[in-house]
Amino acid sequence: MMTASLNEYVIISALLFCIGFFGVLLRRNTLVVYMSLELMLVASTLALVAFSRFNNTMDGNIFVFFILTVAAAEVAVGLAIIVALFRKRHTVQIDKLDSLKN
Amino acid sequence: MDISVLQTLASRNLWGAITPEIMLGCLALLLLVLELLFPKQQHQAVPAAALVGLLCVLSDVLVNFQSAYLGEETFNGLLRHTPGGQIMRVFFLIAAIMVCLLARVSLAKQRMPRVEFYHIVLVVTAAMMLLAQANHLVMLFVALETVTIGLYILVSYYRTSSLTLEAGFKYLVMGALSSSILLFGIVLLYGVAGNPSLPAHTAQSMHYGQLAAFLAANPHNFLASVGIVFVLAGVAFKIGAFPFQIWVPDVYQGAPTPVTAFLAVSSKAVGFTALLALAGTVFASYAWLIAPVLTFFAATTLLFGNLAALTQHNVKRLIGLSGVSHAGFLILGVAAVSRVPMATGAIYFYLFAYLLASFAVFGVMTHLAGPDDADQELDHYAGLSKDHPFLALVLAIGLGSLAGIPPLVGFMGKLFIFIAAFQAGLYGLLAVAILGVVISIYYYFGWIKAAFFETWANSPDAPARPARTPVDFVTGLALGALALSTVILGFYQGPLGAWLTRR
Repeated sequence: MMTASLNEYVIISALLFCIGFFGVLLRRNTLVVYMSLELMLVASTLALVAFSRFNNTMDGNIFVFFILTVAAAEVAVGLAIIVALFRKRHTVQIDKLDSLKN
Repeated sequence: MDISVLQTLASRNLWGAITPEIMLGCLALLLLVLELLFPKQQHQAVPAAALVGLLCVLSDVLVNFQSAYLGEETFNGLLRHTPGGQIMRVFFLIAAIMVCLLARVSLAKQRMPRVEFYHIVLVVTAAMMLLAQANHLVMLFVALETVTIGLYILVSYYRTSSLTLEAGFKYLVMGALSSSILLFGIVLLYGVAGNPSLPAHTAQSMHYGQLAAFLAANPHNFLASVGIVFVLAGVAFKIGAFPFQIWVPDVYQGAPTPVTAFLAVSSKAVGFTALLALAGTVFASYAWLIAPVLTFFAATTLLFGNLAALTQHNVKRLIGLSGVSHAGFLILGVAAVSRVPMATGAIYFYLFAYLLASFAVFGVMTHLAGPDDADQELDHYAGLSKDHPFLALVLAIGLGSLAGIPPLVGFMGKLFIFIAAFQAGLYGLLAVAILGVVISIYYYFGWIKAAFFETWANSPDAPARPARTPVDFVTGLALGALALSTVILGFYQGPLGAWLTRR
């Protein structure tokens, strides 16, 4: 049976992180931006579990629970803000959200 | 697992060490109960209860300042109680009291539920106080996220205004992005410090002490340096250091004024307590990496903040960008910490000077804001000295202290930082900082000039100025106390200054 090494896990999580990061910077729809943010958190989670398994330390697995909780709270607040914003402005395109200026 | 192991672990949870935070949490819950118990007409009792409770917690911290837990690690190394942590507890409590006072004035102009605002302020303050004592990357992350998520709600609190919601959304994306970067840095550090094939690897690789020992034994590890850069970048977002300051003007403009104050003072101080703990001690053996990063942050932040503030007409954007430049001064202090121990005290002193002056200015801003909280222009200050001499005086003292005019405490704060930077030999940065002070005087005095020397032109086609709120007794007392202590601490730092700069 083929087993993945630590390097492969770390590379995959780094790729996920990059996809998420550039998604946040480049995508124009707020919901897709928000999904990209979650992808970045998932990348960290994957790396944590892999490090935890290969280093044989338990802290990483426990930390994942905290990250999941934080991500859930962030989604709850974030989606509420996006829904309220959509009701006010009738758009979720980032280009249109530019009324704050000097 | 043996039950005795669990008992030993549980015995290290010294709950007494976090009494103030527990009291704040209970107070926050009490506010929700009070809302249920009181009829709707008596809801003004809730902010009063929040203020009284905060004063009780503050006096508890001050009375037990030399607590028995000082220097100890509790909760299996998650927290470490230091004099610096105690100072920051006091700092965050004073800031919370001022935010609640300003919120009373500001929320009265809106049709919004009131109680939740104070509830979230209290919870966020408790998290900030825990973060000031964090000794573990998990604690750092969880406390920082509690602060950030609470602030998402507070920033978008005036949800009937589309500007506020837009600010809330921008803060949400930027805050979540910075948290993810910080988290990825933490994960890399955790992974590399637990690697069994490296010297001094540790099972508790997120504990500050263990991590510092590992980094000292591996001073040029590639993954660890990537992790350190990510963690520093995540923290730089929170303090608004260049090039991570893009969110600052928009979010500061759209957020309700008390929340802008909370962001400018407490949230920035949170970033600096984390930066001080990380860059000052944990990452100290990576000075070859940290020193250039901090130098870059300090120089660009100082220049950008001051230059960008020159062109602003909206006072909330102006104070936001001037806050960026203050972050630059503080990073200058952090850059000096590794060589000059006195810099730590200088940073604390600067933070307190910034707290006093900022809340004086934000207090005046809250009274001048109309129902549309984002619309606060420099022109609205015309004639303030004739109509409200008290507010104009408080504003002048606050702005003068922020600019660093000699008899005021802001000057002493800058002086201590400059002395520390001079002793550390950071001459180039010092020159940039002095240039920054010179530029900043221009826009601060433009504001003072608007309040003292300009008169409101009553032309019919000009948009009307929002009505000014009269100052009530308690808020007036607090603003007067801020202004007075800004003046007095400038002349006489007394034992406080000596104690702060000794460490």
